[in-house]
Amino acid sequence: MGNKLIDLQGITKSYGKQMVLDDLNLYIRENEFLTLLGPSGCGKTTTLRIIGGFESPDKGRVVFDGQDITDLPPNKRHLNTVFQKYALFTHMTIAENIAFGLKIKNKSKAYIDDKIKYALKLVNLDGFENRMADSLSGGQQQRIAIARAIVNEPKVLLLDEPLGALDLKLRQDMQYELIRLKNELGITFVFVTHDQEEALTMSDTIVVMNQGYIQQVGTPEMIYNEPENAFVADFIGDSNIIPGTMIEDELVEFLGTKFRCVDKGFGNNKPVDVVIRPEDVELVAPEKGTIKGVVTHLIFKGVHYEMEVMAGGFEWLVQSTKMSPVGAEVGIKVDPFNIQIMNKPESEDEEAVGVDE
Amino acid sequence: MRNCAKRIYLFLMVLFLYLPIFVLIVASFNDSKILGKWNGFTLEWYKQLFDNASIMNALRTTIVLALLASIIATVLGTLACITISKMKKSTKSIVVGITNIPMLNAEIVTALAFMLLFVGLGISLSFSTVLIAHVTFCIPYVVLNVLPKVSQMDNNMYEAALDLGATPFQAFYKVTLPEIMPGILSGFLMSFTMSIDDFIITHFTRGSGIDTLSTKIYTEVRKGIKPEMYALSTLLFVTVFVLLFLVNYGPKTKAKKSFTTLIFKNKVTVAISMCVVIIASVFGYNLLKDDKNYIGDVYVYNWGEYIDPAVIELFEERTGYKVHYEEFETNEEMYTIIAKGARTYDVICPSDYMVEKMIENELLAEIDYSNIPNISNIGTQYMNSAQGFDPGNKYCVPYCWGTVGIMYNKNMVDDEVNSWGILFNEKYEDNILMQASVRDAYCVALSYLGYSINTLNEDELKEATDLLVAQKPIVQAYVVDQVRDKMIKNAAALAVIYSGEAIYMQKENPDLEYVVPDEGSNVWIDGWVIPKDCQNKEAAEAWINFLCEPEIALMNFEYITYSTPNVAARELIEDEEIRNSQIAFPDESILSRCSVYNYLGKEGDTLYDYYWTMVGGAESD
Ligand SMILES: Nc1ncnc2c1ncn2[C@@H]1O[C@H](COP(=O)(O)OP(=O)(O)O)[C@@H](O)[C@H]1O
Ligand SMILES: [Mg+2]
Repeated sequence: MGNKLIDLQGITKSYGKQMVLDDLNLYIRENEFLTLLGPSGCGKTTTLRIIGGFESPDKGRVVFDGQDITDLPPNKRHLNTVFQKYALFTHMTIAENIAFGLKIKNKSKAYIDDKIKYALKLVNLDGFENRMADSLSGGQQQRIAIARAIVNEPKVLLLDEPLGALDLKLRQDMQYELIRLKNELGITFVFVTHDQEEALTMSDTIVVMNQGYIQQVGTPEMIYNEPENAFVADFIGDSNIIPGTMIEDELVEFLGTKFRCVDKGFGNNKPVDVVIRPEDVELVAPEKGTIKGVVTHLIFKGVHYEMEVMAGGFEWLVQSTKMSPVGAEVGIKVDPFNIQIMNKPESEDEEAVGVDE
Repeated sequence: MRNCAKRIYLFLMVLFLYLPIFVLIVASFNDSKILGKWNGFTLEWYKQLFDNASIMNALRTTIVLALLASIIATVLGTLACITISKMKKSTKSIVVGITNIPMLNAEIVTALAFMLLFVGLGISLSFSTVLIAHVTFCIPYVVLNVLPKVSQMDNNMYEAALDLGATPFQAFYKVTLPEIMPGILSGFLMSFTMSIDDFIITHFTRGSGIDTLSTKIYTEVRKGIKPEMYALSTLLFVTVFVLLFLVNYGPKTKAKKSFTTLIFKNKVTVAISMCVVIIASVFGYNLLKDDKNYIGDVYVYNWGEYIDPAVIELFEERTGYKVHYEEFETNEEMYTIIAKGARTYDVICPSDYMVEKMIENELLAEIDYSNIPNISNIGTQYMNSAQGFDPGNKYCVPYCWGTVGIMYNKNMVDDEVNSWGILFNEKYEDNILMQASVRDAYCVALSYLGYSINTLNEDELKEATDLLVAQKPIVQAYVVDQVRDKMIKNAAALAVIYSGEAIYMQKENPDLEYVVPDEGSNVWIDGWVIPKDCQNKEAAEAWINFLCEPEIALMNFEYITYSTPNVAARELIEDEEIRNSQIAFPDESILSRCSVYNYLGKEGDTLYDYYWTMVGGAESD
């Protein structure tokens, strides 16, 4: 991956009294597939709109390819947006929609025709030139919106929850389609979603946001395996998040029991949060476990069983291919490698405070 | 079975809805002036319609007005919608509510409010005032049509255009505008329809000389319906129908969509043809003024059907003045307009008592008789009678005069008619027509009771009122202008009527006879006066002088059939029977029984109006 293409420096934005983004710092590299991930209302769209030029930040700078573009209007920026609801022009045919940007730039007719053909082929919709936008299905409209954007050869494509309105099957198809597109075009994608699975599947880099703050930036693996705080852990997949105390390096105590772990450098007798993924919890015979418990719920999920186990006064979520019936006494064992230790925020609010990269 | 009943119901409903219009349309092609008698198909009325310069003029005004009003309203309304759509939800709903209210408001209230506003601001009514009023009442219809389109439009669409490199102007012009175009088009068509359709607001805000089709139809119809009006109404109906059809059925179909795109793609063509239409109509409008002969304008305010149209044309040819001719229905209506200064006229033709009232309120200018040499043609006896309301003959030149009497149908009335008493005879229940005017109604009752027709004695008035109230159940109707048609068509046996009408009606239906009852009656004189705020006194005096020419007075007499005070004109009447007609020129014995109406003063008017309300003559019919 290349150099910094977009650099957001100290971006602050509020609507009225409501602070939406607070001193946000983020850079996006050339050719990167970067995903802004976070719950609804956390400021993803706002961030995207600031990059696109549709909102101007109250404070901070947007630097693009080394140039400050904070005050540049959207029509002068070398990037294109695929809007959440596609925003196709309904009074135009598909071809006219795709040609819109090129016509504005006074490209020749032959060039435009070529581009339309190429773009439709790229999104697998050859022959749709003369259809009207509203005669297309959601997925098709989505692809036209992408085609309309990419014919302008932008350096960056901004996509705001582009798959949100599609049904599950279509969404999965489109995910692969987008990855293929990105590889073929070799441009930067900034992708917004609130769906963690989508983010994990598609991204090179994930930026987890909450309440206007960046919680963690990293590769999908890093985000999933080593969440830096309880919010990220909770938001990315199911987790057992248990308050505990770091006794010393590589030894943590929670639920009244000491566990071996691999983390160091938290200090001695420090309160921490412990994250354990449900698939990392091993159910063994009661006497073989670190602590004992009783199975309270059991659901068959197809690939695995999901169980809840009451142990040490905590309801553990457990995923396993082996089934233990409700009421069975079990022992719980966790590999030290799978115990993730996180700093405990001192107050509720701090949960949302930006974490240094 | 149920289906059948449904169909019958639907059929009846449509029938009731459209039957009147259907009758109108059929009548417009009927080669007979009488409704209900089919004489074969004709296009004569349409031909006459298109030959009628004043109607064609009104048509031009209507189109120019509707185009200008709807274009301005569409632009303003669309901009308003874009602003409104950017507002916060709460503000938005308030603003939308405010713009909707004028549509629900009673039109008459809006109309009066406009008139008050203009008159209050000292703006005299003109084409511009009608235009302003039309623009105002059209805007809500534009908002109604455009706002949903603007709200519906994905806000990101505009941003998508910017994103693809369009400037804000390009984005608006290439994306926002075409996206909301169906709404704009519907709003425009609806405004256009509303403007063409409007009568009340136009009526109250128009300046003198401005007539649209609807006000023209209204004034024409008051004189008795001419078949060309059927033709005109048919055309108007068809136009409005087609426009509304476009508005309602257009946007939902695919066809309309391509229609809109078509219009938009050919916007240059559309814009050019629109301009051509406007320029052509405005130009045509001005052509009238570009007459080589043209030396000025004269604004005339006269009773309906009270001049031979050929006389107006002759006057224009002869003098070079362009005549803007308008009509009123009652003296009181005219008085309000003049006294409020809502419209200004150069020369007006009120009745005797109204002349007196206008003199008293200093609304009139003295006539310079050196500009009216033809005054010598007016008989001195009439000038003397006129002194009864215009002492010294300073303000008024008599134009027509006559008596009030009873017209009856010889085949339907077997008693001798020589007393007002016959109008109170129950034998003729539902066959009696009274005049819906205070003074004429009281003339009947007071004369019958032997009192003065100018009485201010409350006991006498009360007695007369009781008489009229008691008579009301046997009266078919209190009418203004329908007396002619009804009597000619044998639809009533007895009617209170002016002598002038009697001559015309007798010609149409020889069974009719006219009598001035023995108890006495009213002799009335209508004359030309010049209001103080007249803009062109020279033209007004030229007009009066022209009407006093014997040949011209004769033309008018033959057309209006009301008695003329122009003795030179009477000498020119060829038909001996008419020249010596007792109806047109009653001898002294009849005239001596009659007196003029005097202006009763404000209190007198109030008193009469008070009792008149009890009779309720004005509301019947
Ligand atoms: N134009 C606006 N006016 C006022 N508040 C806004 C506006 N746009 C967004 N917000 C608020 O800012 C917050 C972040 O919004 P957004 O960036 O759209 O979040 P996301 O895309 O992550 O769901 C939300 O609370 C939203 O209500
Ligand atoms: Mg969003």
